[in-house]
Amino acid sequence: MDSASILQHLVNGAMLGMMYALVAVGFTLFFGVLDVIKFSHGDVLMLGAFTALSAALGLSAAGIEQPLLQLALMLVAGIALTGLVGALVGRYLVLPLKSAPALNTLLITLMFGTALREAVRVFYPQGSNPKPFPRLLPDDALQLGALSLRADSLLLLALGALVIIATHWLIGRTKLGLAIRAVAQDEETAKIMGINYTKIVLITFALGSALAALAGIINGLYYNEINFSMGLNLGVIGFAAAIVGGLGNFYGAIIGGFLFAALQTIGAVAIPFGSSYKDVFAFAVVIALMAWKPTGLIAEQEAQRV
Amino acid sequence: MSAPLTVTSLTAGYDQADVLHDVNLRAQAGQITCLLGANGSGKTTLIRTILNLTAPRAGRITLAQDDITGKPTHEIVAAGIACIPEGRKVFAKSTVEENLRLGAYAEEDKSAVIARMQRVFDIFPRLNERRTQLAGTMSGGEQAMVSIGRGLMAAPKVLLIDEPSLGLSPLFVQENFKVIQRINEQGVTVFLVEQNVRQTLKIAHYGYVLAQGRVVAEGNAAQLRRDEQVQAAYFG
Repeated sequence: MDSASILQHLVNGAMLGMMYALVAVGFTLFFGVLDVIKFSHGDVLMLGAFTALSAALGLSAAGIEQPLLQLALMLVAGIALTGLVGALVGRYLVLPLKSAPALNTLLITLMFGTALREAVRVFYPQGSNPKPFPRLLPDDALQLGALSLRADSLLLLALGALVIIATHWLIGRTKLGLAIRAVAQDEETAKIMGINYTKIVLITFALGSALAALAGIINGLYYNEINFSMGLNLGVIGFAAAIVGGLGNFYGAIIGGFLFAALQTIGAVAIPFGSSYKDVFAFAVVIALMAWKPTGLIAEQEAQRV
Repeated sequence: MSAPLTVTSLTAGYDQADVLHDVNLRAQAGQITCLLGANGSGKTTLIRTILNLTAPRAGRITLAQDDITGKPTHEIVAAGIACIPEGRKVFAKSTVEENLRLGAYAEEDKSAVIARMQRVFDIFPRLNERRTQLAGTMSGGEQAMVSIGRGLMAAPKVLLIDEPSLGLSPLFVQENFKVIQRINEQGVTVFLVEQNVRQTLKIAHYGYVLAQGRVVAEGNAAQLRRDEQVQAAYFG
């Protein structure tokens, strides 16, 4: 294999890893503050991508065609609406079930995710067909010696990395992050500190959902296509990444996301006809990892929970 | 700044059972008021109910002139009540400094937070040495310092202290009681819940005795020391 295609695989793998990591961080945040698994997470991601697409179509219809302006407004619309939906899910579906068994939360969010997915399929114009996603970033090739890279890939990678670093800073270095970590460790003592528990939980849900929306939009910009069921696969992979990394652990979620993407890439490259089997290979390795380290690569007891 | 905390005809409990029955008491402004009682008498439930971690069934709780009954916990804390909870409850996976900053969570003024942290370090120099250590990796005595320091960070009008002597060596208990006295001398109203009668009555101005969820005796320290109920409750 020549170096150009190795580079292509690397960029592709990094891009996937970043999307998975963004989704996995959401799972880990929700589990951190509330000990719940929110199974609508993948479909919330899809909602973010479709909101951004609608915003783009609306802006084009209104004659606003400037790509960067359009992109900025798409990001704002997708992230804001999805964050709001995330907070509403927290407020009306998850918090009321707080004293019920965790399975009930899992079920109600699973049903909500299905409803969301079906609603987009049925009510979005021709929602069951894949939708072209606008190509808004410059896609000229950057020459690095013999190698060439597309500028849009690099920009998307940089955007994702920046958001992950910013989230890490938010959790680790700000007063809000301090409160989120306190709630994650001990709800009652956090309340005694004067922390508004409900508010922090809802902000966390908004934050996690906004990250998913960003992953969805990056997905659309990278592949130039989205569809109503895109959240299924990304949700399951993000969940697997969070579990493999150690649910509740920020670094674990990032590592898990990139690990899964690396496995897919290796599967696609190393196995003959591998690209059809890359998911089978990646999930098989994840299953083996879970059998080996049942509590995740970074056990929650030893590491800082978000 | 200090303020009195008044509990009037308070009834509270969990599920079907009432734990507190018609409790009346008052922590006078600027004094140390103690609540004595055996295990299971409802002391911790009273603290929880004052903070609305357990909802009151009936009765009223007021801080100075403010009725705080049934308000969300964070608003009660913002009104000026801080708590050093039973079992210390430090945030084990956060550093000493983060624990202290959480204690001052309601305070928006950063310079006030820094000044308060300095005062805590003056009382517990050890915490200054260990400010970047995770609280969970410290000894029980050091965790008690974190917990007390965290309570002070709120600069409360009323400080609720739940069993500070629990699980500590006698030497540490003595130290902690001295610190509580110092805090009180700076004008903070202290409401101290304890099983350790002798030590507590040494520093308390006034006290109540709780048995099976009812106040069965009250008086100043000298009166309580002689009181039959106290004798019965503790010295059998």
